[in-house]
Amino acid sequence: MGSDRRGPRLAILAFAGVIATGLAAPWVAPEPNRVDLERILAPPSSDHWLGTDGLGRDVLVRLAHGARVSLGVGVVTALLSVLIGLPLGAIAGYRGGFWDGAVSRAIEAALCFPALLVALAILSAGPGWLVRLPDTLRIAAALGFLGWTPAARYVRAEFLRLKGDEAIQAARATGASTFRVVTRHLLPRSLGPALVTIAFGASAAALGEAALSFVGLGISPPTASWGEMLFEAMRHMGTAWWLALFPGLALFVTVYGWNGLAEAFRRALEPRPSPS
Amino acid sequence: MRAMSAAARRLLTSAVTLVLVTLVVFAVLVALPGEGPGDEESARRLPENYRAALRAQYHLDDPVLVRYGRWIGDLARGDLGASLRERRPVRALLRERLPVSLALNATALAAVLLIATPLGIAAAWKPGSGWDRVGHATTNALYAVPVFWVALLLQWIFAVRLRWLPLFGIEGDQAAQGAIARAADVARHLVMPAACLTYGSLAYVSRFVRAALVEATSGDGGRPARARGASALRYVAVHGIRQAAVPLLTLTGFLLPRLVGGSLLVEEIFNVPGLGSLLFDSVLGRDVPVVLALTLLTGAATLAAITAADLLAAWADPRVRHGV
Repeated sequence: MGSDRRGPRLAILAFAGVIATGLAAPWVAPEPNRVDLERILAPPSSDHWLGTDGLGRDVLVRLAHGARVSLGVGVVTALLSVLIGLPLGAIAGYRGGFWDGAVSRAIEAALCFPALLVALAILSAGPGWLVRLPDTLRIAAALGFLGWTPAARYVRAEFLRLKGDEAIQAARATGASTFRVVTRHLLPRSLGPALVTIAFGASAAALGEAALSFVGLGISPPTASWGEMLFEAMRHMGTAWWLALFPGLALFVTVYGWNGLAEAFRRALEPRPSPS
Repeated sequence: MRAMSAAARRLLTSAVTLVLVTLVVFAVLVALPGEGPGDEESARRLPENYRAALRAQYHLDDPVLVRYGRWIGDLARGDLGASLRERRPVRALLRERLPVSLALNATALAAVLLIATPLGIAAAWKPGSGWDRVGHATTNALYAVPVFWVALLLQWIFAVRLRWLPLFGIEGDQAAQGAIARAADVARHLVMPAACLTYGSLAYVSRFVRAALVEATSGDGGRPARARGASALRYVAVHGIRQAAVPLLTLTGFLLPRLVGGSLLVEEIFNVPGLGSLLFDSVLGRDVPVVLALTLLTGAATLAAITAADLLAAWADPRVRHGV
């Protein structure tokens, strides 16, 4: 077991670094948009550890502020997905029959929507209160609106499995109401699946935010986002490698970190040692 | 008999779902600002009578439901309408773009299955072995690599530095002579986009194959084969795959909708004129007929795949078949 634990540990350490950098950013490096006109497109040096971009802005500082966007969007999107997906999946799995059919059709409908149109509609128009929200929340809304389907499917399968569980059947046999069975027996045990879903959701949302910002629909400049930084890097391809390398690395570490967390949750949930 | 009526019911609900989805898409598109000669921007630029004529020509002032009803009516007669941006029939646009997307995504899908299946078999052969763990860690890491980053890297290495592959597009500037030369030219253009669409799915697919094989071979089902003296690898690869056929077919079914809708970002980056980039341009340009046609196409593919997977599972499992 020794060697397969070292990789994840390293990844989790790097992920913790990203989180710490994001948390510390406003205090340590409060000015992500400060321009150093003397050093435009400067390679990494002791002044600018990870170099500067085409406007002379420090890449490391912008990375740190981009971490806030990526992590923020990830967590809020995942929470949103669980808030929508968990109740729906729970009803479908526990009640079955008509409810299962209804939720399954809703999931199919969500899968048929062009995600890009939904994102554009929520990000560019939407009702007034939505437009006035901070970028991070609006992007999370755009991603969470269709992003709840994996959560619903996962929770549905878990509840389907739990329904036949002896403890649940015993509770029902002793006369517990459906409400009591759901709130006292099923929900506490769905906490684990919810955690797994949140971590996986945050990973998908981090990629989604970067993709939206990459095509210019996400964070509005000059706010720093890894996707937007990678888009900028495309213009300096071949001349300024540091512009593309570091945002990509940060995104990789974050997505890998969320996934590692999700797998750790899942493994902790399994009472018996799995064959993996 | 039961299966028949179940299939008919699924077909009906799928049709209803598609109608509802296209209706919502239509309503959202119409509600978004910037729809042709109706918004403030064009009010400043076009004379009033010209604007009114345009709006009348495209029936922009009719209620949403009336306009949607007209679209459905045309659709029933096989008419998808004309693109507002390109002023060409949507059908012609699709005929031009669909083969490109199919070629790109089919290449990627074939690559995913060809790489991930052996990986899954190797992992299921001895669960927990070095193969299993290394494959798991590698594909997991690949999943986390953002696709536009890989695209940039590949472009920089293979197009800018080594000049082995074309930077973007689907065909070279000079039209190649002959069918074979032209196919080779297109294939060269597809290498990097297809690679970008492949690596991220390896984790999911290989793990799915592994899980299906472990499930199929860990029970009593494989015992006769082992008792007859089949080797461990043969046991997993041959007997396991035969028993895991249904989940594996289901998986393939779930991947099929990607053939038409899976490559938006990659098409944008590599400037591939497929359905993904068409959707991107059409959504941004509020090209209502094109977006509706694409929603219909990708939605139908998605629903068909889900339905086929469900029916397959029902057919294979007597418990599901009889609704126990």
